[in-house]
Amino acid sequence: MARIIVITSGKGGVGKTTSSAAIGIGLASKGHKVVLIDFDIGLRNLDLIMGCERRVVYDFVNVINGEATLNQALIKDKRISSLSILPASQTRDKDALTKENVGKVLEELGKTFEYIICDSPAGIEAGAMMALYYADEAIVTTNPEVSSVRDSDRILGMLSSRSRRAELGLEPIKEHLLLTRYSPKRVAEGEMLSVEDVVDILAIPLLGVIPESPAVLKASNAGEPVILDTESDAGKAYQDVIERLLGETVEFRFLQLEQKSILSRLFGG
Amino acid sequence: MADSSIEFKGTSFTLSVLHLKTLKLADIRTNLVKKVAQAPDFFYLFPVMVDIEEVDFSFDYQAIKILLEELKFTFIGFTGSVSKEQRSLIRELGYSFLNAAKVGVPSKKKNNDDVIETKYKETETIRENRLYGDKIHRGQVRSGQQIYAKEQNLVVIGSVSAGAEVIADGNIHIYGSLRGRALAGAKGHHQAQIYCQNLEAELVSINGNYWLSESMNKHWGSPVYIQLTGAELTSSKLI
Repeated sequence: MARIIVITSGKGGVGKTTSSAAIGIGLASKGHKVVLIDFDIGLRNLDLIMGCERRVVYDFVNVINGEATLNQALIKDKRISSLSILPASQTRDKDALTKENVGKVLEELGKTFEYIICDSPAGIEAGAMMALYYADEAIVTTNPEVSSVRDSDRILGMLSSRSRRAELGLEPIKEHLLLTRYSPKRVAEGEMLSVEDVVDILAIPLLGVIPESPAVLKASNAGEPVILDTESDAGKAYQDVIERLLGETVEFRFLQLEQKSILSRLFGG
Repeated sequence: MADSSIEFKGTSFTLSVLHLKTLKLADIRTNLVKKVAQAPDFFYLFPVMVDIEEVDFSFDYQAIKILLEELKFTFIGFTGSVSKEQRSLIRELGYSFLNAAKVGVPSKKKNNDDVIETKYKETETIRENRLYGDKIHRGQVRSGQQIYAKEQNLVVIGSVSAGAEVIADGNIHIYGSLRGRALAGAKGHHQAQIYCQNLEAELVSINGNYWLSESMNKHWGSPVYIQLTGAELTSSKLI
């Protein structure tokens, strides 16, 4: 049975879809069979970030309604064959999703894939609840910013009370903190919450810190998930996240201000 | 499994005691009528005990009960430090006699009345606190969550996030940071206290008396306990 990971946050625009795409590519690159599901019905983005928006024929809602099979709807990634994407519907209502029919789709996917990554929409309404309901693990994406931290705390409360594991009294969802858009310079200046501040408030294990990076915007627009940009700091940070997800201990990079040597300052770079 | 449709529980109530200083019913009546007229709504069905320590054996117990009921009090029974004979007489007449709770060290010096008063007031307080068991919550209390320890003290092993609420009829102990709201003594327990390892609360309240964060500057960020001194909240450093 597959491992179901939900990428959630509460707050919008913090980097859930960016992270889902990066983690999907990362896990699949390690040889695992991974499927990415976009749960944001009506505001689908995952296909854009993955660069497969021109190949969407059938979507999640079509599969639920029996209008298409999973095989017809799943899009194989052109870069890594063990990665597939199940896009969301752009035109339908999210009321089409119910716990039962979502559960059935996940069960079917679990027969072929090792990891099912659910890209959650923002908020705490039905869409987000549906994405987290069946999760075994949760990656709570947070910006080092007060409203994002508050909303992440709220979603953590929901994970521990409204998920299937909570309802059935099973082992609780494994929670991870993914801190995105981190700027060590602004932390040093006292403008931004530090890693320690956020971890102190949310009290869940830190999975990774992704630095604020121009590479992310570049990646979105090109449809090439940032983890493939191996030169960029964000790309490298996501590589570290994959290692940690798979159980390796990796030191946290990009937390300190880079001290540029006099030579590099003189000659740039 | 023991099946019971009823259960007797020992519960403390604060009851008002009417101390009689004279045997003359007419005087008692005049004074009582005056008192009730000051706040008729407050005294309507007001439960009252009658202390007969200063009246003698020949007192008309039935008359005072009738008088009180006529003035719409709820007569509970008699009390006071009286002889065994007087107590038996009252029981024979069909009235309840209750001893005020005097748990703790009994002072043999009966002339030192103040000492006895204070001692039994203190122990009554401790008894009130011990009435509550503990509800233990393990883990963080997250934003949007609410924990209510009904007729219990609350112990939280974890922090209380901003936007979360913990409420108890008894005391609240937080082994972590308090960043949300904590309301102790929710049902009127004036002696309830709040303890936490890091005070960064949005609101603390004991029996309805509350502080917002702006009043917590003295011990903000420290381990504190908060209690009511009279009608004012006070915070003290824990360690």
